[in-house]
Amino acid sequence: MNEHSLLPRLRDQLHGGRMDRREFIRFATLLGVAAGTAYAMAGMSAPAMASSTLPFPAAEPGAKRGGKLRVGEMVARMEDPATYNWNEMANQTRPILEYLTLVGPDNVVRPMLIESWKPSADLKTWTLQVRSGVMWHNGEELTAEHVAWNIRRWSDPALGSSNLGLSTFAALTEYTGDKDSKGRAVRRPLKNGVEVQDSRTVRLNLAKPVLSVAEDCGEFCTLVVHPSFKPPLSHNPIGTGPYTLVELRVGDRCILKRITKTTDGRDFHYWGGDVFLDEIHFHHYEQENQTAALASGSVDAIYELPVEQIELARSIPGAQILSVETAQTLCCRMQVDVKPFNDIRVRRAVVKAADNGAIKKLVFGEHGSVAANFHVAPIHPEYFPLPLQVRDVAGARQLLKEAGYENGIDLNIVVGNNDGPWQQAACEALRDQVKEAGINLAVTVVPATKFWEIWTKVPFGATSWAHRPLGTMALSQAYRTGASWNESHFSDPEFDKALSEAEATIDVPTRKARMQKVETILRDAAVVIQPMWRPVFILASARVHGYKAHPARQMQLTKVWMS
Amino acid sequence: MGNLIVRRVTQMLLIMLTVSLLLFAIFDSDQFREKAAVAELGGFGVATLSADDYHEWLEKKGLNERFLARYGRWLESVLHGDMGQSIEKDIAVSVLLKESLTNTGILAFFVFLIMIPVSLTLGVLAGMNTGSPLDRVISIVAVLTTSIPQIATAVLLTVILALGLGWVPTKSAMADGWSFRGLVLPLLTLLLYDIGYLVRMTRAAMTEVMASQYIRTAVLKGLPYRRVILRHALRNALIVPVTLIFLELNGLLSQVVVVEVFFQYAGFGRMLFDAANFGDLQVLQAATLVAVCVAVGSQLLSDAAYVFLNPRVRFT
Repeated sequence: MNEHSLLPRLRDQLHGGRMDRREFIRFATLLGVAAGTAYAMAGMSAPAMASSTLPFPAAEPGAKRGGKLRVGEMVARMEDPATYNWNEMANQTRPILEYLTLVGPDNVVRPMLIESWKPSADLKTWTLQVRSGVMWHNGEELTAEHVAWNIRRWSDPALGSSNLGLSTFAALTEYTGDKDSKGRAVRRPLKNGVEVQDSRTVRLNLAKPVLSVAEDCGEFCTLVVHPSFKPPLSHNPIGTGPYTLVELRVGDRCILKRITKTTDGRDFHYWGGDVFLDEIHFHHYEQENQTAALASGSVDAIYELPVEQIELARSIPGAQILSVETAQTLCCRMQVDVKPFNDIRVRRAVVKAADNGAIKKLVFGEHGSVAANFHVAPIHPEYFPLPLQVRDVAGARQLLKEAGYENGIDLNIVVGNNDGPWQQAACEALRDQVKEAGINLAVTVVPATKFWEIWTKVPFGATSWAHRPLGTMALSQAYRTGASWNESHFSDPEFDKALSEAEATIDVPTRKARMQKVETILRDAAVVIQPMWRPVFILASARVHGYKAHPARQMQLTKVWMS
Repeated sequence: MGNLIVRRVTQMLLIMLTVSLLLFAIFDSDQFREKAAVAELGGFGVATLSADDYHEWLEKKGLNERFLARYGRWLESVLHGDMGQSIEKDIAVSVLLKESLTNTGILAFFVFLIMIPVSLTLGVLAGMNTGSPLDRVISIVAVLTTSIPQIATAVLLTVILALGLGWVPTKSAMADGWSFRGLVLPLLTLLLYDIGYLVRMTRAAMTEVMASQYIRTAVLKGLPYRRVILRHALRNALIVPVTLIFLELNGLLSQVVVVEVFFQYAGFGRMLFDAANFGDLQVLQAATLVAVCVAVGSQLLSDAAYVFLNPRVRFT
């Protein structure tokens, strides 16, 4: 086996006890080792998979064919998968279009439409091997050209895709040296960044080392479309998945059906093995209505169970409540260049007056975990544990006094509840806590859609950040100087340098040690109050099998069956 | 009468023109353009665009076009009967409007079918016997049902009838096709409030009539009580409730927003709510036109009924 040059070091670290098994599996798979092999190297039994080459779990004995699954979620538009901005859009699309890689419910990435990936020693050149025998719904076979076409599209700065925030696709662009009218640097696609070597091989020549290529290729906006694609997808969905779209009524229903014939009349052969459901129906229910819909038997599974409805869910006979820990979080961030937050003493005072643990407990009870204001989660492989900050009201008062606010200060935080009303609850808890330090915090609640219009503009805002498999991913997107999603305008060359160093380090103890510096700089700059890492709950009736909670809330239905 | 109709219709057209122009003006702002961009690309997506790419995107979507040109084009197509396309739902506005109006129409039909006989009977009974135990009971119940906000009634009914007794589904999405069981909860929510209101109005009108001189005269004259009520009292007492019933047609249009959104019933109210949330301009425009039409139309009907019932009034 032609393994990556860094792999022996990883193995040494595993056996030397400097890396735990989960970390080893995560890193080994990133370097192109098959997940099954990685589990074996770590001496752990892998979750049963259909076969070593497929990214799906093995079929349970007694899995039954046929039937339809009715899912309660908000039925959304299916315009352009690369610019999807709701998980629901991707949920409806995932049985039709597929990813290059699949991040499983165990947070481990496995090859999907590519068979394998191989990074160079410096992590700047990645070779992707396209899976053979993958059939498009129009009868064509998936080729390296198709894959390259998609990756080039994702890295086009003019598309407006959030994929450009992912390290891999950002590293396929370069700065032109010009600035736009808002003073932001303009980017263009890298010449020769995506290279087709033969009909099965694509090579990525990245501008800088990236570890997360495999993970990035399984993020929710990277569903692979046929090169003939024209938005909206719902008009002519050509994919590689086992289902096709029969009907889409936004805000009402989305009906998917097993595909048996290609559009040119041949038998359709699905590369991924057995598929059980005949039909998948998404029925529109607003977030807060989904549990009630399941309770009265209108749907079999729902997209998400809000934490405040867990009691209701427990009262439903036979219902399965499934949960998973994630790196999803709420960042109450302050813009460091806007008065009064340009004074670090004010920011520190707010942070000191807050009690993250109490907020978490109030909102999620015993679920989820407390966060410590540096946006790296304990489930991230490179997490370096910094001591929790202790609440210090007197200290906060003192800082405010030094900053010239002896008589207290009036602040206003904007929250959009994009991820549910718990965000507002967290902000209100924060408001009550900081009051003791003389900070009068007003909580302004705006509609979710409105929030996304102003999220980068408000001086003090509470933004929900989705799960990212690696800690450096969010840091790079949200806190690096000039990054598109740098909503706090935080800018510190030393932080940028330390982060780049950590990103380019594969050796885990060193990487962790480097993360200590990164995390400390960010925490001490008092940019965010980040109360918790939230858990995700889902709900399904007793008849549904193989539906799992996913840290990034990806609904993966290819192997689900109904009894 | 003919004069009245002409006046009302002219009024309606003028209101429509003004409102649509206003809506267009509101939506012709940078803020709205950004809303449209966010709706399509998401907050994270828009944040990746440079200023130039953002303008190019707007250009491509036709959102940068001049205000009057856009309004003129819209007006022209509406006059040709084409109300445009819903951006959010990707179907013709006319189809969407027809379906949602049909659904709300069904709901409204049942509301009126039950509300009118029930509330008129109860209101007249109460007003005939002011101060009697029957009147007390009816009045208290009516005050109670009108004082609970519809959103609370909706929750209460869901807990009792759907989650508790399991008689009806919790939501009225009717994914498996139209069903009357699915209609029960929104219908009851609307009815409880509307019946209470109309009962109180009918009772007040009836009480007033019963206290008037001509009723006393009729009773003293020795006319049978039954005849006094049916021939003399009712016709006068019903003037107010009947005009109110027609105005209720318009009131219902705003009530259904709360009820349809809560129960997820695919009617006019929910369509309006979704369109407003998304910034779906063409749908909003069409819905506004319909709302104006219903408002003016119901007023016209109410006026006509008033003239018919009260010969003392003549519109010229």
